[in-house]
Amino acid sequence: MIEELRKKAEELLKNDTVKVVFGYGEGSVPERTRPVFITKPEDVNKLTWNKYCVYNLTTYLKRQETRKLGKPAIIVKGCDARTIIVLLKECQIKREDVYILGVTCDGVGDPLATKCESCDVHTPRIYDDLVGEKKENKEVPFEERYAELDEYEKLGEKEKWEFWQKQFSKCIKCYACSNMCPLCFCDRCIVEKNQPQWIDSSAHARGNLSWNVTRAYHLAGRCINCEECQRVCPVDIPLNLLNKKLAKEAEKNFDYRPGYSVDDELAMSTYKEEDSQEFFK
Amino acid sequence: MEKLLNKNKFDTLIAGLKKQGYKTVAPKKDNRLVTLEEVQDASEISLDHVITNNSIKEFFFPKTEKILSYTLDKNKVEMEEPKGFAVKSVIFGTRPCDAFSLPVMDKVFNWDCSDKFWVERREAITIVTISCDKSDSYCFCTSVGLAPDAKQGSDVLLTKISNDEYLVETVTEKGENLVKEMESVFSDPPGTPDRQVATVEEKFDLKKIKPWLDDNFEHDVWDEFSNKCIGCGACTFVCPTCHCFDIVDECTMTKGDRVKNWDGCQFTMFTMHTSGHNPRSTQGMRWRQRIMHKFKYYVEKFDSTLCVGCGRCSRVCPADMNISEMLELIETEAGK
Amino acid sequence: MSKAEAKPENQFEPKIIAFLCNWCTYAGADLAGTGRKEYQANVRIIKLPCTGGIDPLFLIKAFERGADGILVSGCHPGDCHYNSGNYHARRRWNVFRPLLEFCGINPDRIQFSWISAAEGGKWVETINGIVDAVRELGPFESYQKLNTIGPETTGEATAASGETG
Repeated sequence: MIEELRKKAEELLKNDTVKVVFGYGEGSVPERTRPVFITKPEDVNKLTWNKYCVYNLTTYLKRQETRKLGKPAIIVKGCDARTIIVLLKECQIKREDVYILGVTCDGVGDPLATKCESCDVHTPRIYDDLVGEKKENKEVPFEERYAELDEYEKLGEKEKWEFWQKQFSKCIKCYACSNMCPLCFCDRCIVEKNQPQWIDSSAHARGNLSWNVTRAYHLAGRCINCEECQRVCPVDIPLNLLNKKLAKEAEKNFDYRPGYSVDDELAMSTYKEEDSQEFFK
Repeated sequence: MEKLLNKNKFDTLIAGLKKQGYKTVAPKKDNRLVTLEEVQDASEISLDHVITNNSIKEFFFPKTEKILSYTLDKNKVEMEEPKGFAVKSVIFGTRPCDAFSLPVMDKVFNWDCSDKFWVERREAITIVTISCDKSDSYCFCTSVGLAPDAKQGSDVLLTKISNDEYLVETVTEKGENLVKEMESVFSDPPGTPDRQVATVEEKFDLKKIKPWLDDNFEHDVWDEFSNKCIGCGACTFVCPTCHCFDIVDECTMTKGDRVKNWDGCQFTMFTMHTSGHNPRSTQGMRWRQRIMHKFKYYVEKFDSTLCVGCGRCSRVCPADMNISEMLELIETEAGK
Repeated sequence: MSKAEAKPENQFEPKIIAFLCNWCTYAGADLAGTGRKEYQANVRIIKLPCTGGIDPLFLIKAFERGADGILVSGCHPGDCHYNSGNYHARRRWNVFRPLLEFCGINPDRIQFSWISAAEGGKWVETINGIVDAVRELGPFESYQKLNTIGPETTGEATAASGETG
């Protein structure tokens, strides 16, 4: 599979279809890979593919440093491809400006990443070219997809508060979560605006709660559960639980899952007259 | 002064410290992390790690702290300075690299004015370091002039000499006093202790770094190496020697607090001017700043490298950027 | 007010912040006033053009500044002055409310209602309802404890009254 990837990349660079290939390269230790940006056909041997390719490389579609390398071909797993669909729908990229090199995937991480446990996109749902044997995308039932939340949802109000306060107290406001997130693409994040200062920039209990809740909320109906925020958090806050909770609510209330189709309407920019209003008085 | 400390005396030691009015901070395991935090007894302490995830910095220079409170009304402004921030404590079981970060940072916090928050805490806190008995591929203390059993910055240094025993060496007067205070838990050391110290490979020659930096403010390597950087501040926040901060007022119309927060040079906003102009407009420039500050500017100003080789930045980097790799690359460039 | 006489001593008086749309609920509250209807005086109203413009951060800020409970209220579905603002708001609260609940905030502290310009009576009922419910829950101490570094929120109600720097 690595050979096939390299051959494809070489071809794309040689015939000038793209200027750069965003892919995975060997990392500083065998258990890690790192993003590489291949601009010359002779460098394609730097590309690799293994179970440590956890990154969602689509985050580099938003960064000016990598954007200026020219039209990219981007290596995406099924989950990463969902991000591309959201980015297309939110007009962040144009379809013709990116060449999607899909790879089929059996799961990444060691131990297997949580996101892979209920994967239903082993084969990407959008691509220009596919590497690897096509796999069936089996539907995973709703309960199973959100099973991770069960133990937290059944906690009492006080226990929930204490659990999250303990988690948020660790936050150092490094913003790795939002910087890594391919869907956090605002030029200037709400937390960087200070007139007025909606979210305290201090890493104290008050500022950490408003930051973490707001970050998660801004991904409601958008997050495709790549878990990158959680992976990169240097203090190990289970951020994806918040994202997953919102995804669950969006699916339950609006019957919407982001990143599956380019033709549907984004959950938070539309509405239905029959939307639930059970808690409205 | 040299002594011997048996692991089974940890209990008595921590209890004794508590009795003497010390707050004890030690490595504690929680899920995937080992962090330095307050402990109540020895059973909470975890020593089976290479290095703690958080650095020692936050006990002297917290991620967020109030430096002033004020109330305003039509006729007057009243200000109140915080008190009681320096708590008599012992940090037990930190690593030599972390301990060394303290004398390095003393220089900047005592530079043109003395930062009382730092200075008073430095006085109140005693550092009991444990030499590293293992290392990982991210460690590079030996490349910046340290060692896994270096003493600089510690008050007391413990070094493993058998599975249960530590050789205790006092480094400062403060350390000596602490050992005397706790005398009953220590015994006499063996004549020729077998020090179990990790080996850390020397990765680059520090002497070659600065001359290259002097000449290469403009170089392709900055952009090439940093194009995968996502611009978060994780590296600077986990770094024991990164010390930039931001001061904000959190207030209503009648009262408020002036708060000092960690800040980092890897953020786009760090150098953003009100006009919208940003002198460090690309990540390459910001990455260059991090290396230059640590290995050139600080050296020129304070005659000390602003890096202790703990490797935390490389461990947490979301994009697997590795600082020692960068310095190796510089060494190679310098040899060309 | 007659209720004050019946008020038990040391009864906790919650601070309720109400974010109202200009066209329906605010007019409804006004109607209650012109109709001389009595209701508990624990509510501070913030008038906004439309519920569709109420950012969840307004709610967080209100809690930060000492609110014990929050009401968001606007036009009934189909009646929005801007056609669809309240529908968009409804979507938002459908995900935001469970998120807060997931973080351990009692959902009874955040209530939503549709009150039209003609429903002065419903306004009175809603306010009395939320004040009683929040009084039952007590002061929102767990949130106010988060203010250890920032300004204290005790004393007069400064909550969300535009005092931010």
